[in-house]
Amino acid sequence: MAVPVSQAFTVMSYVLKQKLKGRKRYPLVLMLEPLFRCNLACAGCGKIQYPAHILKAELTPEQCWAAAEECGTPMVSIPGGEPLLHPQMPEIVAGLVARKKYVYMCTNALLLKEKLHLFKPSKYLSFSVHLDGEKEHHDFGVCREGGHDIAMEGIRAAVAAGFRVTTNTTLFDGADPNSVRRHFDQIMEAGVESMMLSPGYTYDKAPDQQHFLGKAKSRRMFRAILSNRKKSWEFNTHPLFSEFLMGKQDFECTPWGMPTYSIFGWQKPCYLLQDGYADTFQELLDATEWENYGAKSGNPRCANCMVHSGHEASAVDYNFSSLKGFIQTAKRYMFKPTYDDADAMKLLNEWPKTSHGPLVQIDNAASTNVVVKTTVQESSAVSGD
Amino acid sequence: MATDQQEHLKIEQLQHQSQDEIEVIAGRERENLEGWIPALASEAEVRDALEKAFDYRGDVTITRKDGSVVEGYLYDRHSASTLETSVVRIIPTPAKGATTTATQRVMVPYSEIAALNFSGRDTAAGKTFEAWVKKYWEKKAAGEKNIQIEPEKLD
Repeated sequence: MAVPVSQAFTVMSYVLKQKLKGRKRYPLVLMLEPLFRCNLACAGCGKIQYPAHILKAELTPEQCWAAAEECGTPMVSIPGGEPLLHPQMPEIVAGLVARKKYVYMCTNALLLKEKLHLFKPSKYLSFSVHLDGEKEHHDFGVCREGGHDIAMEGIRAAVAAGFRVTTNTTLFDGADPNSVRRHFDQIMEAGVESMMLSPGYTYDKAPDQQHFLGKAKSRRMFRAILSNRKKSWEFNTHPLFSEFLMGKQDFECTPWGMPTYSIFGWQKPCYLLQDGYADTFQELLDATEWENYGAKSGNPRCANCMVHSGHEASAVDYNFSSLKGFIQTAKRYMFKPTYDDADAMKLLNEWPKTSHGPLVQIDNAASTNVVVKTTVQESSAVSGD
Repeated sequence: MATDQQEHLKIEQLQHQSQDEIEVIAGRERENLEGWIPALASEAEVRDALEKAFDYRGDVTITRKDGSVVEGYLYDRHSASTLETSVVRIIPTPAKGATTTATQRVMVPYSEIAALNFSGRDTAAGKTFEAWVKKYWEKKAAGEKNIQIEPEKLD
């Protein structure tokens, strides 16, 4: 099981309550951003471009707890910025755990090992370590050599100390599916509970504006990565969201599914787009023109989005909206399909290998006479491992 | 909401291709707004300039019609049917040496704005990645280790 039974039960009963209450729009996970500053400057990130006085600002623990209570979700994800740079993060997390919220504290893990003693292991707390692939890929993606090794040290230390640890991998154009699969093996071997995977979003403010995946390429890439999967791989994404990434399901965006609260207030409409702020969660629900978002709306900023924050909530809602959805999901959890797919295996084996080093591709790499190559080949015998 | 001008590369791509068939999505065309002082001669110019100010990732300086000045990060705007009922919300730039809590907010109706200056540095100017790539390959070729982009110093 990718998550503790108590967590699955809590989420299930929460969603059923929302359904019984007839709520058309209910949130699933609070994305709590207590600060924007970070100790990395990743090329694909559009979250950290602010003036210094904004980057220095932080939410207080009381503001964080109030936001969690106001929106009422059973799960709270704490992205940022880098949450471990917030001096009161242990207090914030402890307060959320005391409120029986399942907390995913997202971190690049550069500070995890040294700050671990400030946290207490709990079924309610998971460190969600952002790892963008194998060493070479991750280090280039986060623009810091050695970042992967430090993060893996943090993961191993947290696992050894009895914490729940998950990972979060974001893929951009140029990602190598074979390398991503090796990356899965490495992190499962490190004792990680489960993994999350998502295509990168086209952040308008990201330094690199050339390498965001379109939908066609995303589906092909995720089909290559997630078909013929190993039984040892555990994912903490909804199984139907995983199928959505592979092109086997079609979900529209649920932008209110994972609302974001930061120093600016409740972000309209979602974690990824900024179209203004509401002062209360209810105002966010009432004042946002939801029909302007999602791929079908024609909004160009939503056109290629397949990100979990908008679409995983759709998978969960579908799961509880019909008997068909419920049975489909139950089957996936019970039988844990490996998605055997000969065409996907062919795709994987024929995926260009020589030009895919860093996750963020570089157009002029050839002109600098440097070619990055992935060096490990994966056997095609991957299913049923 | 970003303007069509800001999104035109994506809009153009979507006019020619189905979103389900796109391999690599177009990025956003950047506007160099740092230091810009828009004219604000018409209502349309006021609304467009404040939309861009909302999108801008640097501080701006607003001069009210009474002569008072607000400098800070324009983090929100509400564009309503009239300029009197439309407002921007700003977190003022703290004075040097002051602690930052970002709790102070200033609201200014569009109708009170006499001048707007994109006075602060555009922190999303987009040169960082190109600089990183160049520096990365140069340092890599020179055999250096632990190459990285350092986040900017905040003090």
